Amino acid sequence: MVQIWKCVLAVGLVLSLGSAAAAQDRPRVVAVHQALADFAERLVGDATEVVFPVPAGVDASFWRPSIADISMIQSADLILLNGAGFATWIDRVSLPRSRLVNTSRAFEDRYIVTESITHSHGDGGEHAHEGIASYTWLDPSLAIAQAEAIAAAIVARELAAAEDVEARLDAFRSELTDLDATAQDALSGAQDVAMIATHPRYQYFAQRYSLSITSLEWEAGAMPSDDQITALGNLAKERDARVLIWEARPPPEAIEAAEALGLRSVIFEPWANDGTHYTFIEAYETAVSDISDAVSHSSN
Amino acid sequence: MDGAVIRAMALTAAAALAPVGAGAHQLVVFASVDCEAVTVEAKFSNGKVTQQGDVRVLDGANNLLTTLPLDSDGTAVVPLDSVDHAGGLVVEVDTGSHDNYWIVTPEDIARNCGS
Repeated sequence: MVQIWKCVLAVGLVLSLGSAAAAQDRPRVVAVHQALADFAERLVGDATEVVFPVPAGVDASFWRPSIADISMIQSADLILLNGAGFATWIDRVSLPRSRLVNTSRAFEDRYIVTESITHSHGDGGEHAHEGIASYTWLDPSLAIAQAEAIAAAIVARELAAAEDVEARLDAFRSELTDLDATAQDALSGAQDVAMIATHPRYQYFAQRYSLSITSLEWEAGAMPSDDQITALGNLAKERDARVLIWEARPPPEAIEAAEALGLRSVIFEPWANDGTHYTFIEAYETAVSDISDAVSHSSN
Repeated sequence: MDGAVIRAMALTAAAALAPVGAGAHQLVVFASVDCEAVTVEAKFSNGKVTQQGDVRVLDGANNLLTTLPLDSDGTAVVPLDSVDHAGGLVVEVDTGSHDNYWIVTPEDIARNCGS
């Protein structure tokens, strides 16, 4: 009996070592945000590992990687960047240019320049910080372009058979096209309803569906302070806003406070980070449906 | 093309790519490495030279290895034999009003040292 158990253990050890080696041997794709990782997983198949390296709860835009993180990323077969200024860390490390893909390069001329913030600090005097809106993939037509860039890179790097990638891209493109049509339909009555977002994430979404969304700078998922609630009330009154979009679910008391100001709350996770059980498309569909419902109720 | 030219191009490109407008002056930090030293360069994204600031060099566990001042041309040189660089280095530059960092991995050092 002991002999048999030894055999079983030996076989198990060999199998586990084999699978660990296989995992290490798999090509690796690194994505700078969760949506790009989701797109890559859809397109590349199981033979390649897709890694989103940012820990849960950390803003992927402003993540500061460790040396070990960068070593891992430098050794990846493909590094998927969003472009549009997303992920500040990419300008603070050496990355292999031949394996970098800026997935929004095809539509750089469609980047949205955000309004400038004038302030002063140090001896620099008053100056303006103007930026580029980064959350391009929240416009499904741009998400399609980013998926196409990923597919082309996967094929160019020979990470999967071209015909397989093309078939997966066709299916994914079709789903995103349907998503866009669904959103166009669901939000067709929302153009005249002013909305407020707790963070400036939704510029491309708003532009795609001609929505009016004013942004705050609140911490994701946190309970706003009394001052923030007061400012929200003033802004809601000024804009005649009736919908509040949160990028992460806040405490129930926050939603109640917004409700008291006449604002219906909607959670719309932009999928830059972990934190949802849905796929990008399911999360997007849910958010669009919830916004549509909020708009309908606010009009009653 | 020598290392100085490559460094200048990289720093200029990083400054140009920084997602800020004409009025902004983010601090851009770049570090290059050879077998002897890490050369740190810092400038503002509007092209202005960073004339003073502190350079902090840390290891992978965020232990401070050394601190040195920026020269008036916005550069600093960290001899590799002055720090334990086996696990890579994090170079932070702090001007008092702006700060930024650059990460040097063990692979960067090995690659640029010809091994």
